Amino acid sequence: MVWPNRYSSLWHMIAAPVVWAVHFCAVYGGTALVCARMDAPGLARIGIAAASVVALGLIWWIGRRAWRQWDYASRANRTHGGPRAEDRREFLGHSAWLLAIVSAIGVIFVSLPALFIESCL
Amino acid sequence: MTDSSLHDPPRSAAELDERQPQGQWPPSEEMLAEPVPSDIQEASKERLRAAWKTPTGIRYLSAVNNSVIGKWYSLTAFGFMLAAGVLALLMRVQLAVPENDFLSSDRFNQFFTMHGSAMMFLFAVPMFEAISILLLPAMLGSRDMPFPRLSAYGYWCFLIGGVFVLGSVLFDAAPSSGWFMYPPLATEDEGVGSDIWLLGLSFIEIASIAAAVELIVGVIKCRPPGMRINLMPLYGWYVLVVGGMILFAFPPLIAGDLLFELERSLNWPFFDPERGGDPLLWQHLFWIFGHPEVYIIFLPSIAIASMVVPTAAGRPIVGYSWIVLSAVGTGFISFGLWVHHMFTTGLPAISLGFFSAASEAVVIPTGVQIFAFIATLMVGRVTVILPTLWIAGAVAIFTAGGLTGVMVALAPFDWQVHDTYFIVAHLHYTLFGGMVFPIIGGIYYFYPFITKKKMSERLGRWSFWVTFIGFNVCFLPMHLTGLLGMPRRVWTYPGDLGWDWLNMISTVGSFVIAAGILIFAWDLLRPKGRQTLTERNPWNAGTLEWSHDVPTEAWGARSVPFVTSRYPLWDQPEIVERMDAGRFYLGDAPEGRRETLITSAVDAIPQLVVRVTGPAWCTLVAAAFTGGAFILPTFGIYGPAIVCGVLAIATVIWWLWTATAIIPDKVMKDVGLGLTLPTYVSGPKAPGWWAIFITMLGDATAFAGLIFGVFFFWTARPDFPPDGAAHASAALTTTAGVLLAGTWLSTWFARGLHRAGHVTIARALLIAAPIMASGGAASLIGAVWFPGLQPATHAYPAMMCALVVWSVAHILCGAIMQGYCLARSLAGRMLPEFDADLWNTTLYWHFQGVSGIVTSLMIGLVPRVM
Repeated sequence: MVWPNRYSSLWHMIAAPVVWAVHFCAVYGGTALVCARMDAPGLARIGIAAASVVALGLIWWIGRRAWRQWDYASRANRTHGGPRAEDRREFLGHSAWLLAIVSAIGVIFVSLPALFIESCL
Repeated sequence: MTDSSLHDPPRSAAELDERQPQGQWPPSEEMLAEPVPSDIQEASKERLRAAWKTPTGIRYLSAVNNSVIGKWYSLTAFGFMLAAGVLALLMRVQLAVPENDFLSSDRFNQFFTMHGSAMMFLFAVPMFEAISILLLPAMLGSRDMPFPRLSAYGYWCFLIGGVFVLGSVLFDAAPSSGWFMYPPLATEDEGVGSDIWLLGLSFIEIASIAAAVELIVGVIKCRPPGMRINLMPLYGWYVLVVGGMILFAFPPLIAGDLLFELERSLNWPFFDPERGGDPLLWQHLFWIFGHPEVYIIFLPSIAIASMVVPTAAGRPIVGYSWIVLSAVGTGFISFGLWVHHMFTTGLPAISLGFFSAASEAVVIPTGVQIFAFIATLMVGRVTVILPTLWIAGAVAIFTAGGLTGVMVALAPFDWQVHDTYFIVAHLHYTLFGGMVFPIIGGIYYFYPFITKKKMSERLGRWSFWVTFIGFNVCFLPMHLTGLLGMPRRVWTYPGDLGWDWLNMISTVGSFVIAAGILIFAWDLLRPKGRQTLTERNPWNAGTLEWSHDVPTEAWGARSVPFVTSRYPLWDQPEIVERMDAGRFYLGDAPEGRRETLITSAVDAIPQLVVRVTGPAWCTLVAAAFTGGAFILPTFGIYGPAIVCGVLAIATVIWWLWTATAIIPDKVMKDVGLGLTLPTYVSGPKAPGWWAIFITMLGDATAFAGLIFGVFFFWTARPDFPPDGAAHASAALTTTAGVLLAGTWLSTWFARGLHRAGHVTIARALLIAAPIMASGGAASLIGAVWFPGLQPATHAYPAMMCALVVWSVAHILCGAIMQGYCLARSLAGRMLPEFDADLWNTTLYWHFQGVSGIVTSLMIGLVPRVM
């Protein structure tokens, strides 16, 4: 069986936190711009909501692929400490999946202030 | 960063087939089991010993081996830590009683500034690098770091810069505006203090980045064959994450330092609100560095815990993937916290909310690793070895610091305690628990590896309990002192505010800490000549560094092992015996050269055998001249500083010319176990290419910091750009953009044509390229010069000129690299099939081409749109 390249890629492993980082920059930078230049908190909040939905969607997709790569159901050994290519593949999948969860929590946390704070002050 | 097999398809038709690895991979069990005749063992040992011999006498200073540099580095950092600790004690004496006049206010300011700066820049970060340089190759069964001379250069830069910065305190000339150098206090400061901080520490930051590059390449490319990424010691994961963090955290500070020094020496008003500047820009750039810095300090120390805990528990770590998640997740999220140092600066509440939320989110990955350690200890059979005691103390203290961290991450709470002793207590709990205790635990743990002797169990316990008790006596009351309202950084206080007894207790505690640390220092440094050597694996650990040779040998690993487990010493029972016999890879040095293996990034498939460089003076000379170039401008001595800069560049060129990308006598080499590897590769398989790639990522981050500055001013200031301001010339910025694109493409084409054998055309392109680069640099200067942008009048022209300064320096550096490739080609040191220099130069220009074009747009187009 030929695996896709991403099964042996560190870049794919960190895809979810990269989404978090882009989301964070977009939310912070966007709010700063909209508040400083237009003083339109409503617009900022809508933008944050949209960015968060997109980010969570992407993270969900990354996490789903990682879940498949981890292949949780098929194996009894879940320490991924063996020397075979499968161990490496599952390890990278497992780590990517965990990172997707943390990234999703991060995105949700960071978008929460926009739910409660309604002004640019 | 992907790889799958021994053989990759050649990237071009010209890539010779015999340059691919050939032979047996992975090795069979029969090959591994075949004994090595004892006469061959002895002869190859002799040859290896000769190749790796550490120079003696005065030439000892020219050593570059990781074990030597690592020792110097860590002892120097420890020395700076003790010095910074003495400053703290003197401050505590001053604060012991109200209205004290033991120290003058100015001296007190110098002391707290230097205490913070030295602990951060001269101890915490360098200590991580020092310990990693010392330990990492052994953990990876590698001979040395990939670029030993770079380590040496970094060390000498660190020593010169550290002595300069810390020494200033003896001449009453030290910086005195706090370790974060806030403008306007620091920009308006008279005297040389702020310049010493800026230039001295920039110099050290560059050394830190050099070490980070080396460590990342070490982890990615120097793992032993078979050690796939899922088998790497957790320490390696942490080094990888922290190295990456340094690359993205330090450069914004370097960009900030550049702006700051331009304001100090040329009066360009980046941080002066009267002329369109904004002091908050510095705070942003500083804390984009400063908060990840906290994790840059914390993660390596917790990495030590991740090595000690499985040994103490006598079993593999529980939740390896979870700890990797923790390291990587913390690494990312720690970049979203910086504004929590700026909660009181009046930013919009909603922005504060983002950073408060991220500050709470980072607790999740940070907590996960602590739980993984506890789980490991719970399911293992714990032997309470001395290092475990320090690690346990660390966890206790760090958890307390983490809890107050959760409190101050909430903006309303922070408004109450901002700039009070509550923060002092919080940060010392995190740093002692997250750094000092695990490091000392780690030194007790690794001491037998480093010196082949043991430290004293009894002194270690005394030191622990004295330090632990002293620490809590000193810092626990500070929470209350802070809640009672005592501000930080005051040199004295009136006696009727209820702070007296708390301060007195803290002062007593601080001296108890000092006593504890001194016990440790004595135990560390006391002569151990008559003590017997340690056994080889005193803690019965499972990782490769405990296959070390007792008594010591300079070769690192006797032979580079084939690894199939996370804990090879536990799971591969014959591995040490086979390493000793030279059964594995590179068991001999028939040419008498220092060599190490380079393997693929993810699966550690052998790719290359590289010659690593040996002892040299050029590193010391280059560091001395670099030091001159940074230190002399502090005192306004610009002429000699420029001479030093030129000599530093010349020394580095000489160093590269004589020792790197040497065309080998044989293109392939038998490395043992039936495997033949190339001795020269260029492009993404070569460690040098990775080093350029990683360096340029950091460099691009610094550039992004400057771009951030432009947009920051645009959002924060209504007068950016001011009405009717002169803009950079559109025609000249366009010319610059075109010329820079031209030089980039010329270099790129030169690489392809050169590889295909069209050497003459490639050389012609390499002549044209630096001419176009110089033309591009000249056009950029002209673009701001001719329309008469006056950088001293307003932050807008200053920012545009700063971008030009940054770009021109980089373009000239790129032009030197193009000229270097041309010279190498003309001298017959670079041939179509041996073209690493040209690959690396092209990679540099991929980054520089993009950033040059962005600069042209930023100064020529963007302000007109704004």
